[in-house]
Amino acid sequence: MIPGLLIAAAALAPAAYLLLRAGFSFSLLWDELDSPSTLPLLWNTVKLLVLVCLCTAVLGVGLAVLIARTSLPMPRAWTVVLTLPLGVPTFVGSYAWVAFSYEYFPQSRLIFGLGGAVAVLSLTLFPYVFLPVLTALRRLDPAQEEAARALGHGPVPVFLRVTLPQLRPAVATGLLIVGLHMLAEFGAVQMLGYSTLTTAIVQRATVLGMPESARALAVVLAGGAIVLLFLDRLLRGRARPVHTGQGTPRPPRRWRLGWSTPLWLLLCLAVAAAALAIPLWVTVSGLLRHLGGDAGAVDWQLLRDATANTAQWAGAAAVVATVCALPVSLLAVRYPGRISGAIERSTWVAHALPGVIMALSLVYISVRWLYPLYQTSTLLVIGYVVMFLPLAVGSQQVGVAQASTRLDEMSRSLGKGPLATFGRVTVPLSLPAIGVGALLVALDAGKELTTTLLLQPTGEKSLATALWSTTNGEVLDFTAAAPYGLVLLLIGAVPAVLLARSTLRA
Amino acid sequence: MSISIKHRRSVRLLAAAAAATAVLGLASCSSGGDGAVGGDSANDADAPNATLTLYSGQHEELAKALAAGFEKDTGIKIDVRAGKDAEMVNQIIEEGDKSKADLIITEEPGPIAELDSKGLLEPVTKEALAEPDQRFVPSTGDWLPWAARSRVYFYDPALISEDQLPDSILDLENPEWKGRFAYAPSGAFVSTTTYLINTIGKDRTLEWLKAIKENGVNERSNGKVRDSVEAGQHEFGLSNHYYWYILAKQKGGEQNLTSRVHFLNNDDAGALMLASGAGVLKSSAHKEEGQRFLTWLASADGGQKIVAEDSPQFPLAAGVTSSYGLPSIDSLTFPEFDQGSLEDVGAAKDLLKQAGIV
Repeated sequence: MIPGLLIAAAALAPAAYLLLRAGFSFSLLWDELDSPSTLPLLWNTVKLLVLVCLCTAVLGVGLAVLIARTSLPMPRAWTVVLTLPLGVPTFVGSYAWVAFSYEYFPQSRLIFGLGGAVAVLSLTLFPYVFLPVLTALRRLDPAQEEAARALGHGPVPVFLRVTLPQLRPAVATGLLIVGLHMLAEFGAVQMLGYSTLTTAIVQRATVLGMPESARALAVVLAGGAIVLLFLDRLLRGRARPVHTGQGTPRPPRRWRLGWSTPLWLLLCLAVAAAALAIPLWVTVSGLLRHLGGDAGAVDWQLLRDATANTAQWAGAAAVVATVCALPVSLLAVRYPGRISGAIERSTWVAHALPGVIMALSLVYISVRWLYPLYQTSTLLVIGYVVMFLPLAVGSQQVGVAQASTRLDEMSRSLGKGPLATFGRVTVPLSLPAIGVGALLVALDAGKELTTTLLLQPTGEKSLATALWSTTNGEVLDFTAAAPYGLVLLLIGAVPAVLLARSTLRA
Repeated sequence: MSISIKHRRSVRLLAAAAAATAVLGLASCSSGGDGAVGGDSANDADAPNATLTLYSGQHEELAKALAAGFEKDTGIKIDVRAGKDAEMVNQIIEEGDKSKADLIITEEPGPIAELDSKGLLEPVTKEALAEPDQRFVPSTGDWLPWAARSRVYFYDPALISEDQLPDSILDLENPEWKGRFAYAPSGAFVSTTTYLINTIGKDRTLEWLKAIKENGVNERSNGKVRDSVEAGQHEFGLSNHYYWYILAKQKGGEQNLTSRVHFLNNDDAGALMLASGAGVLKSSAHKEEGQRFLTWLASADGGQKIVAEDSPQFPLAAGVTSSYGLPSIDSLTFPEFDQGSLEDVGAAKDLLKQAGIV
């Protein structure tokens, strides 16, 4: 319990900073809410959030069903391909689309505004729903569906009334991540010319020099996170998956696609092309221009250092987040109750805060109380852990919930203490899910931009910040940025492929 | 048990990965702090061993070029931390008197004037302040103007001819301009707003801002104003001359662009020339070296040469001309005002909020 409470306190520190930092008052918050620009921004944020959640749910569940439950050829390859979009940073993906649009459809404004933002973000983020749903589908016991079929229900009603309800926890986990991410998303939304609370917050904090106003609006986002956490509970429902052991369910009957197979293949291809091919194409053609001599020689030293930094910082964040998340997930699953529930929920709040707010809070806190850490990579890793802890917590909970308590009890009855049982029974049983959580953290930490810009040690860079520093601060120039962009995409593909493979193994 | 066999391989893999990242992480942490500071002084016995830290709101490549040039001329090393103006100013304010920054350079006069108004800057030496075009020196004398950017229009000659462009940005409130131009609420736009408040008053400025919001397309950043005008999406856009010259260089010359740049060349707020500032922080332990940097930055054969070569900003020392094909600053007409007077950006921000632009 005590480690859990400490971790919750650390996770809530950035939100506490918003309220406790001198200069905040509820009258200021009220003024902000009352200002004519705030309500439209709030409304824009809600629209974006709802639409992206809907689209990612449809894409994620639809593609997972297509792969797990139909005769679609090459399901394993498609699983990998459809996980890869997670490796594309949203600011790269969105600007690739903008550059593509300017180049080939110079007059078109189709990509800009709400529609473009929803499309680009959904295409990048749907794997957060796709992966857990795919895992859940592969674990479902087909016996229930067969029983329903035997009772005379058609395949579609069976899917809607028997299969889908069992996917609710998986969908909820994915949507919570996507939803919180929407509250914090800046880069893509800004590039695509859509305004949300977060673009206003970042604009105020980084360009306009209105930090008080930025912090007050961020309080609204933290409130939004709390609302989403309640909605998540509702969506998840009360049902808890019960498994007596890691039995292997029989493979379910697959729907024959027959003559429509090419259509479905085309659909998968279109999703992959939109999410991956455009960023890759823009980056590779930029690289060719770069090597053609427009932007000067590639700075190999910087590229190598940035790659090493990215791998180290993201790797360290993944390990630390995994360790910190374990007590939280165990408490939440094995000792459900108000306190353990509150601890678990509290780790999610920071995920909804824009990177710049996270960074400023860590600057403030570390300068005052942890000065030796300030502007070291340790503080940066701590920042990543606080931001991405929920990804580890969410994934671990699934694993711990599926690791049967009976094996724990057996171990205890054989005389092993709780720690030994935890280390030798619970953790190994949950290991695939723990690994997935670590990979998700590594992925997000590896492509993080805004917080890294403010927290990285002076003179050091990650791939994302090295890429950003070639942009002249305003828009990506894919010529100078190409080497960093390409390595960033390639290095992001590594955890994505591992994720897909561990989903297939599970 | 079958379970443990199944997972043994992944246990080993994960453990190895964990150990490796932990070690790497620790190694990078220990070298990430102050480790780098001591190493370099050995090769030059005369070099002062202070390493300055420069917080830069300027584009990183220019800041690094300046740091390298200064080190070459004086032997004093500078570490650069780059971000946006307000980000750097916020960071310094959050750091308080423990700030790691010795120096700051900005793109805009407003943010550095704000630091000045909080009493965080050392007065600049007379020697340094004597170098730049005196029209840009702030009345407080606490920061050095070392480069300038002009507000301009970017326009697409296929959609509008140069002589049809409005002579005053105040005209843009007329309905005839609706939907025809782009703008971005950048730092320079805030400076323009502050300047308007100082010249035409708050109420008039708010009216104008509301009309801009109504008539213009908010492209959110100067870079996107440029790219969207270049793509032919708007007849023209309000921006800084700077971005267009960067694109021209990237594309191998002005002739390869479809858009053009138009200097208003009059006393209008749309022709504002805004100074980039540099200052030494009061909290710095290396003020003397910091002042040396400012003097070097202001001098014609020091920093100004690098500004002229590496950046399409106007150098401010007499006799230095930009290599980017900019018109000479003496050939341009622009409003004259105290660059330090943009310090009270609070009023401008309030109006931008009220108008619903930010």
